[in-house]
This record gives sequence, structure tokens and C-alpha cells, in this order.
Amino acid sequence: MKKINPILRYFYTLISMFRSNIRDYGMYIALVVIIIIFTILTNGVFLGPINFTNLLNQTAYVAVLAVGMTLVIVTRQIDLSVGFLGAYLGAYVVVAVENRDQRVWLAIVSALIITIVVGAIKGFAIAKIKVPSFVVTLAGMFIFKGLLMIETSNRTIPTSNEFFNKVGIGYLNTIKIGNVDILTLSMGLLLILVVVIGSLRSRKKKKSLGIPNERIEIFATKIVAMSAVIFFLSYSLATYKGVSYLLLITIVVVAIYYFITTQTVLGRRIYAVGGNPEAAELSGISVEKIIIFVFISMGILALISGVMYASRMQNTSPNHGPFWELYAIAAAYIGGTSANGGFGKIVNAVIGSIVIMSLKNGMALAGVDANIEPIVLGSVLLLAVVFDIYTRNVRGIDMVGIHYANIIYKKQLKDTLFEYKKTKTELELARKESRNNLLEYEYKFTNVSGELSRIKETIRASKEDDYQSLIK
Amino acid sequence: MENKDILIMKSISKSFPGVKALDDVNLNVERGEVHFIVGENGAGKSTLMKVLSGIYHAGTYNGDIIFDNEIKHFHGINDSVNCGIVIINQELALFPNMTVYENIFVGHEVRKNGSIIDWDQTKKQAKKYLKMVGLDIDIYELAGSLSVGKQQLIEIAKALSHNVRLLILDEPTAALNEDDSANLLRLLIELKKDGITSIMISHKLKEVEAIADSLTVLRDGKTIIRMNRSEINEQEIIRNMVGREIEDIFPKRPKFMGGEVVLETVHLNAFDKEKNRYIVNDVNIKVRKGEVVGISGLMGAGRTEIALTIFGNPLNYKTSGSTIVFGKVVNLNSPKAAIDHGIAYVSEDRKRTGLILTETISQNVTISALQRISKHGVLKFIEQAILAEKYVKDLDIRTPSILQIVKNLSGGNQQKVQVAKWLCVEPKILILDEPTRGIDVGAKYEIYTIINELIAKGMSIIIISSELPEILGMCDRIYVIAEGNQTAEFNIEDATPEKIMEKATI
Repeated sequence: MKKINPILRYFYTLISMFRSNIRDYGMYIALVVIIIIFTILTNGVFLGPINFTNLLNQTAYVAVLAVGMTLVIVTRQIDLSVGFLGAYLGAYVVVAVENRDQRVWLAIVSALIITIVVGAIKGFAIAKIKVPSFVVTLAGMFIFKGLLMIETSNRTIPTSNEFFNKVGIGYLNTIKIGNVDILTLSMGLLLILVVVIGSLRSRKKKKSLGIPNERIEIFATKIVAMSAVIFFLSYSLATYKGVSYLLLITIVVVAIYYFITTQTVLGRRIYAVGGNPEAAELSGISVEKIIIFVFISMGILALISGVMYASRMQNTSPNHGPFWELYAIAAAYIGGTSANGGFGKIVNAVIGSIVIMSLKNGMALAGVDANIEPIVLGSVLLLAVVFDIYTRNVRGIDMVGIHYANIIYKKQLKDTLFEYKKTKTELELARKESRNNLLEYEYKFTNVSGELSRIKETIRASKEDDYQSLIK
Repeated sequence: MENKDILIMKSISKSFPGVKALDDVNLNVERGEVHFIVGENGAGKSTLMKVLSGIYHAGTYNGDIIFDNEIKHFHGINDSVNCGIVIINQELALFPNMTVYENIFVGHEVRKNGSIIDWDQTKKQAKKYLKMVGLDIDIYELAGSLSVGKQQLIEIAKALSHNVRLLILDEPTAALNEDDSANLLRLLIELKKDGITSIMISHKLKEVEAIADSLTVLRDGKTIIRMNRSEINEQEIIRNMVGREIEDIFPKRPKFMGGEVVLETVHLNAFDKEKNRYIVNDVNIKVRKGEVVGISGLMGAGRTEIALTIFGNPLNYKTSGSTIVFGKVVNLNSPKAAIDHGIAYVSEDRKRTGLILTETISQNVTISALQRISKHGVLKFIEQAILAEKYVKDLDIRTPSILQIVKNLSGGNQQKVQVAKWLCVEPKILILDEPTRGIDVGAKYEIYTIINELIAKGMSIIIISSELPEILGMCDRIYVIAEGNQTAEFNIEDATPEKIMEKATI
């Protein structure tokens, strides 16, 4: 048999991978589509350095919440209180610094203690007393809304301290050559280097353990695509003001949580508890401790998020807080986190929050009626979850294998298809005349249609390896 | 018409991604007989029944279903029920918080003029059907408060209310004790007289021998043989099921020669606050090094509860008495403490409390030993993979890779993963709760072989089992439990099925 054209083979392999892993890539595709649409609608302003930097800064507080929320949802819980908790903690820090003249670090440490205690109480009520997390955190939502209003005395309090300026609207120092910030760019290049080396090492590791690796061309394509995105990102940021503190904090948070979830005992236990709490308990894992940890971690992230938001707004206000937790939950779901627990990735939740913020930012920029925005957002969330459920059991295909199988089974398929149509018309005729030996026709038709689907199935399930010996 | 077969399934084939679940299967069931379908796990029995009951729609499989001399195309379970084909699944589909009569008529409520429920008629008919299945209970009871055996009968009553003509039971006796099983089998014979044909899937060959009029053996998705009443015998069935002779279901091991006591409970009690009674009552058991101790008793006698009380009491019973491990009184207040003292517990329900089905083999095998393969809380993936690989090889878990999701494995292999998980923590005392429930003959033999290998290495094992042959075939010493009390202790030489049953039913 003739060997397949290498370029065609490459694209077949790539498409097969996308088709087989559509669940993982769906969100990225959605993001790319959203970006393209808004870039066109805004004549390129959307993707320009200024708006792009702005978009990432806007996303920061949601992304941080979404990271924590992912773990909460993975363990089959929910946390509705984090919006007002975050806003309250932000207000607490601002008021302590601005009105009570406390030192910034002291204010933050006190807020940290508050949030850890709150997280422990929530976790304890949920894990030990077994109050549904929906109820516990709903109660928390009301309580923190009240506390927020008390803390701010129902007034907007502007920030003036240097700390808030830095965190909210500050950027890392830049060393500009021409128009481009070298520092940001080199950070991007460093990240690319880390990605390339890390992937190569993990590939080697897998190989040495005999665990199947993805094909080399797919691997290479992924690396190139990832490097291109990182390069574009860092270049785009570099031509404006570089990396903001908001972005830096977000990256650090995501990195820490990525590490925890993928590399540590704690991370594996969180997923185990989410996957099957009873089995986890009987495996010697303390489900209570894990859940309490998850809620404390959520609280700490709420603190970070609240301070980030207040700093960016340059004020704290009783109006802060509503919908934060819902954006975070939506981001986690758009990122493919499973409501049944046990499944959900940190990085995907961050992408989910970028999707949400892109919609908000893009529509504002394109001059779409602000009332339309929540409708679009809701539809996207619903679509994302429908898509996720729909693609949960997608079968892998190998289009290169199908290509070869198509050649081999071409004649057979044609003949059977012909036979199928023939028996079908015969059967219909027989039915119309209600002949005595109708059963015979039925048998014949069933057999032929069985044969047809058998051939189709063989072709569909073909793998390139099956034809290795036939390819010259 | 001329045909005495009520059901013919002709050349049924059905594929799933990557697997051919059914390959040209033929099934003939005569009117008014009790027909058995037997085969190892994964042989395609349940798939075949799902095709028959329309759970897999017509068109997703090849072949014909001829019921009552008519080709049928079922597009959902309602179609088959309307024809009088009712399937009762292994997992019962009752609503635990509804009453018995509501359960019987849920989905096809008795109505008066349109959409108003006729409760009087409902209750009257419910009583009638309960009488037919020989169940003497109050129709106002909640289904969830009944024993599994009674729930099973309610399912059958529900089937009768659908004017059932062909009743399909998927492993109905798997979760029943001997009494309830016998009761159920008797009922099937009764129903035969009313002209109801039954198809039963079962792993218990004794009951097949006892009541089958005919049977079909499936293996690897193919029909192997159809046997009539006169041809049925256990050896022959097993031979056809596994495709090879198994002379002895239980592999031999050297006789137990005695050893130091590794585990002892002294006046162990456990009080269940929800049930408001003692579920473990003054239990004193001893386990020696290299010994297999059996805990026998009826379902619900408190066997699992004893195991759980020893294994760190995860359900928070109120306990008293003491547990002595290696000569020291220890306080086992969490599974973790039990594991630290060298005790491991393979749960009876691997799907619900044993495995994390959505995770990989590697993850499941090492879940209790994560501490050991990590440094400062950071996992060492290579060691994890090596460890998982080792146990996959040692226990012969059949899988393409250690990264396979456990959900996709067969029952026997899942059970091996569960055992591997515990071997990973290198326990001294291993408690196996129903180690072979719902797995096929071949896999059973492998599990028994693994038990013998572990004993040879000096481990001590407690087996909890409902199957008397298993207890008698594998154990060195047997404790019998009835209603939370320890009623007898036998050395294997003195034990007979009759003696054990007598003590278990006190």
C-alpha cells in the first residue's frame, strides 16, 4: 500500500488529537473564537497592548478566586460567601491602614488570621457537623455583607497608602530598549525555556517507565503553540508597561496551586476526597481535615482577591463583593470542573476566568449594550457545561488509520452499501404487499445492515499501527 | 403459532468503543420456564439483557429480538415493559423514602379519570401483588426500612403490576442471605405456574442446578452452549464458562501450624446510635501469624461492623472493649491509626467505599501510601509509577497501562486494584470483606491464590464472606456471628456447612 503524504499525515494526526481530546481543548477553542470576534469588532483594539494589559489586570481577582473555588468544587462543596468575604477583608485592610493608621503588614496579618478562623469554622460546620456547604456559605454571604457595610460605615473610602497604589496600579520596574521592556520579554523567554525543558523531561520520564507518550509531531506542535502564545503575551505586555503587580500575584498564586494539585500528597488527597469520600476515608485520609483545608485556602485566596480589587479600584466601598463568587464558580465550570467532584484543573479555571472577563471587557469595548452582557455570559456558561457533558465520552479516532482502512475496505463498503439499499427496497415492497415470508426479508435486512455497520465500525476504529506491516 | 419459544434473540451483536461486547449471541427461552444465563464477568450477560429490555435502543445493535413470534424494536425501557418484559437490576430501583405501595405503582399510577391518583385502588392492588409474592408486610412501610430480601420481593411485585410475562432478574441473590435466596427461588417456581417466564443471571451455580429448566452459557460475548434440565451439572457449567477445567476452586496451601497472636479483641462492643442497638456485642476474636480466620454469618449479622470497629471505627460507633495488636493494647480511633498499626481493610463494596473510580490505577493503588512515596509532601512520581507497576505485575491486573481509569476495568481487576492498594502499605493483618463478591470464577481463583501467597509471606488474614464454600475452602479457623454476637468458633477440621448455618441462624 502507498504511504500517506507526510503533510496530510501531520494534519490528520493533529485533527485526530483534537477530535479525541475535544473536552480538554474546547475551552481554548472558545477563548480563541472570542478573542477573534472582539478583535474584529473593535478593529484590533481588543488585542492591543493597552487593552490586553487591562484585561489581565481585570481578570486577576476573579482568577485568584476561581483557583480556590476549583478545589472547593472538586471536593463536592460550594462556597457562596467568598465574594463578600473578599470585599470585607479588603475593606478591613484598607480601613485599618487608612483610618486606624495601622502598618500594612499588620493589617494583612490580622486579616489573614480572621480569614483562617472563618475558613476553619466553615470547614468544621460542613465536614464535622455535616451542614450542607450551600447553607453554611449562604449564611456567610449575608454575614459578610453586613460586616462589609459596618466596616466601611456605608461610605466609599479611598486608598492613599503607597502599598495599595503599587498592588493596584503599579508595574514591575522596566528597562526599556526602544519601545520594548526587556525585563518582561526575558521573563517570557525564561518561561518558554522552562516549559520546553519541563515537557522534554516529563516525556523522557514517561518513556523510561514505559508509559505511552503522545506522538512526537503532536508534542512538537504543542510546544511550538505554547511558546508562541507565551511569547506573544510577554511581547504584548512588554510594549506597554510590562508586568503589573496584579498579574504577578496571580501568576504566583496559580503556580503555587498548580504545584499543590499536581505534585503533592495534599493535592492527590483533595482529588481522592472529591472522587469518592467514603473510599478516601477508608484509605486513611481524613476527609474532615481535607475539607477544612480547602475552605481555609479559599478564605486566604478571598483575602488576596479582596485586597487586589480594592487596590485596583483605589478605594473600598460597600458596593464591592456581589457576584464575585458567582464569577469564580462560573469560571471553574467553564474550565471543565466537574460538579460531581474529583475532577477539575487549576489552569483551566484561570482560562475560564479569562473567558468571562474577555466577554465583559470585549463587549464594553465594542460598545454593546451593557444589559446584553449578562445574557451572553449566562449563555456561554450554559454552553460550556453542555459541551463538557456532551464530550465526556467522545471516542478517540485515528484519521491516519481510517485513511488506510478506507483504501482497503473501499470495495467491500461499496458492495455492502449497494446490497443494503437493495434489501431495504425489497423489504419495503414486501411490507407494502404484506407477504407471508415477511420475516425472511426482515432477517435479510437485519443481516445486511449488521454487516454494513460492522464494516463502518472497523474503518472507524482503525489505527495506524494496524496497517504498519502493509505500508511499504 | 407453532413456536414454543416465547423469546428468541437471534444473532445479537453489540459493540462498544474498542470492545465487542456481544458477538453473534443466540438466546432461546421457552414459554413458562426458568432460564439461566451464566458466564464470567464481562461475558456480556448484562449487556444482552440491556439489549432485550430496550435500554440499548433498537438500531444500536445488530440482530433480531423475536418476542411472542413478532420481531420487536424496543426504543427504550417503556416499549419492553409494555410488551410484558420487565427487568430487575442488581442495583434495586426503589425509592427508599416512599412507601411500599407508592413504590409498586410509581411510573404507572392507578388513576381515576385522567390524572388524579386513585389511592384506594392503588392500596388494594398493592396488597394483592404483595400477597402474590408472599410478602407479609404493612404497605405503609417505607421501602428503605426493609431488608434487601424484602426489597427484592417488592421489585417483583412491581413487575407483576406491569402484567409481566417475561421477568428478567440480574443477579437477584447476590446480596441475599441463604434464607431469602431460597425464598426468592421458590417464588420463581410459583410464578412459573402462573405462566410467567423468567430469565435469571446468576453466579451461584448451586441455585442454577436447583431450579433451572435450561440455561445458556456466555463467554467473551459469545454463546457457548444451551443446556436443558437433564444436562445441567456444575462441573460442566464451569468448564463451559471458563473454557477450561478447574479441578479445585480453592488452591491448596500448607496446613497452619500455629503462631503468635497478632490481633486480639477483648469484649469488643459497638453501639450504633442511629439504629439504637449494639451491632457488635462482646466479640472476642484472635488472629495468629500466618493464619486465615473466617468470619461467617448472615448478611447484616454485624460482620462488616466488627471489621470496621477494628479498622479505626470510621462510622463513629460508640465502642468499648479493647483491641490488642502484637501484644499491645492500642487505641484505633481512625482508619489511619489502624493502618499505622499494620491493619488493612479491603471493603465489601469496592465501587462505593473501596475505589476512587474516576482516578487511575496508579493513583488508586498508592492512595494510602502517598506519605511513603513523597518527600516533604511532594510526590515522587517515578516511585509512584514503579510501585503501581510492581503490583499490577504481581497481582496480574490486566490493563493496558497503569494510567487506565479504574472505572473501565472489569470487576475482578478492580478487586485486585483494591487488594494492591492495601498491599502497598505493607500490612501485617489484612481484613478481606467479601473478597470475591460479584467476580467471576477465574478471578476468584486468582484472588485465592493471592491470599495463599500472602499467608506464605507471614501475613495474617481475616476473610468475611457470605459464601460458605469460600469460608470452608480458605480458612483455618472460623468465627460465626449472629446479630452482633459471636455464637461459635470452629477449627476447620470440625466445621461443616450445617453446623455453621445452625449457629448463624440462632
